Amino acid sequence: MSHTAAENKSQLGWDPDDPHGINPHHDEHHHFIADWRMQVSVLAILLFFTFLTVAFFRVEAWAEVAFGIHLPGWVNIVGAMSIATVKGVLVAAFFMQLRYDKVLNTFVLLFCLLCVGLFLGFSMIDLNSRHLVNDFSSGEIEMGGTGYGLNNAPADPEFSVKFGPKVNTAGMPLIYQARLDGALSGDPHYKGLNAYREDPTLNEADFWKTFYGSHATHRDLLDEHDYFTQLGYAHHDDVSTANKSRSRHGLTEGLFEDVAPSAFDEHGGSESHGGDGH
Amino acid sequence: MSTMTDTNPIDVPQSILQSPKHWRNRVAGHHWRTGDEEFDAAKLGMWLFLTTEVLLFAGIFCGYAVFRMMYPEAWANGSHYLDWRFGAANTAVLLLSSWTAANAVRCAQLDKQFWLRVNIVVTVVCAALFIGIKFWFEYRVKLGQGKAPGTFFSYPFAHDPHEPLWWSLYYVGTGIHALHVVIGAVLFLVVLYYAKRYQAYGPTQYTLVENAALYWHLVDLVWIFLFPLLYLIH
Repeated sequence: MSHTAAENKSQLGWDPDDPHGINPHHDEHHHFIADWRMQVSVLAILLFFTFLTVAFFRVEAWAEVAFGIHLPGWVNIVGAMSIATVKGVLVAAFFMQLRYDKVLNTFVLLFCLLCVGLFLGFSMIDLNSRHLVNDFSSGEIEMGGTGYGLNNAPADPEFSVKFGPKVNTAGMPLIYQARLDGALSGDPHYKGLNAYREDPTLNEADFWKTFYGSHATHRDLLDEHDYFTQLGYAHHDDVSTANKSRSRHGLTEGLFEDVAPSAFDEHGGSESHGGDGH
Repeated sequence: MSTMTDTNPIDVPQSILQSPKHWRNRVAGHHWRTGDEEFDAAKLGMWLFLTTEVLLFAGIFCGYAVFRMMYPEAWANGSHYLDWRFGAANTAVLLLSSWTAANAVRCAQLDKQFWLRVNIVVTVVCAALFIGIKFWFEYRVKLGQGKAPGTFFSYPFAHDPHEPLWWSLYYVGTGIHALHVVIGAVLFLVVLYYAKRYQAYGPTQYTLVENAALYWHLVDLVWIFLFPLLYLIH
């Protein structure tokens, strides 16, 4: 085409760049240019909300210990997710400029989020309603847990960790194998029980000190010499809660009371029969 | 920083001003009526791509929700193993870089070539900082302790049989996000090269700056949700 648009326009009597006259101002640029003060404000608000979500988490953790209360799990989730949603809306509206942009882009994002909602929502409905069909399906998904797996191999083939050919735990949960073999780290702190038992320079009590020091709930199945009692962690037998070291929610009351300490037998199961109430 | 158009104190050599890649000399593709239409179409295309990214991360969020409902003990323990200070530091770093990315677009719109480059450099430095904190202070330490995903798990002090699953989800979620950070940084380095070499972005032509910034904001957006889910909720 040797003609320029302007020549065509004068010859034809209409604009070939805009034959229907729907965009009479197409030479003008209407792109929104953000005010720097607005952008600084949005950044400040976002940083403030980051501080707020951490503060919420810290205050909640502090209050649970200080007042000995167990806040319901949803407080934690609803608090953190509401703040994250506000932050997300701020980023999308101002940094991504959806507020000043064509509505179509917002529509694309919202439709995508609707799909995400369906995806998440139906997964949750499925998981929450399985017990309506089969009672046995309800066990593990209830808040509080059942302690399932603490003295049993994880038996759920769909969701349990699948052991590769490299790791043969003979039916033991992977964490017991890890407890025996330990990390590959050169740090003796992360070596497993086998190393502590075989190396004369290491004292097995140090291992259990670290183990029970982090989270002393009950005597571990591999603690054959009862370091649980020796190290003084068995002094809360009168306390009904299963957690004897620090306040945490999500544990069923009295859960571990009748878990007898024992080692795994050769069949991969536990010698103890656990609680009848499980 | 003022909102006035940059008076550009640097004498731009003729080789740059006359380059076909300089923003004043760039024209819309022949199949577009105007540059504006080309820009809007490119931006809509970017948004459509971003929705697929959201759906990618939605799979991870859904896995998180399902496994958290099934194994609340393992998930409660898992978040206690993570240090919120590293997560919060990385959140601040990403928010700052999102701001500089938005500023880069603004500088391109106002033909502030020097500040365009400064903002991109700060964004890329923030990306490096994010990756550095994640890999050096988090992945390296945790893997050394045996807190590894799936069958690689060898942390001797674990308490819940499903903690290896928690670590799988942690590494997949943060790993894919870190990959996006790296891709975004590379994208900005490309923009930086063209901005420095040709002054390719200005008031009438800044599509790539805009789309790189959109990608970067989405990476920020995903982290805004990953941070509380992994580090704070127990």
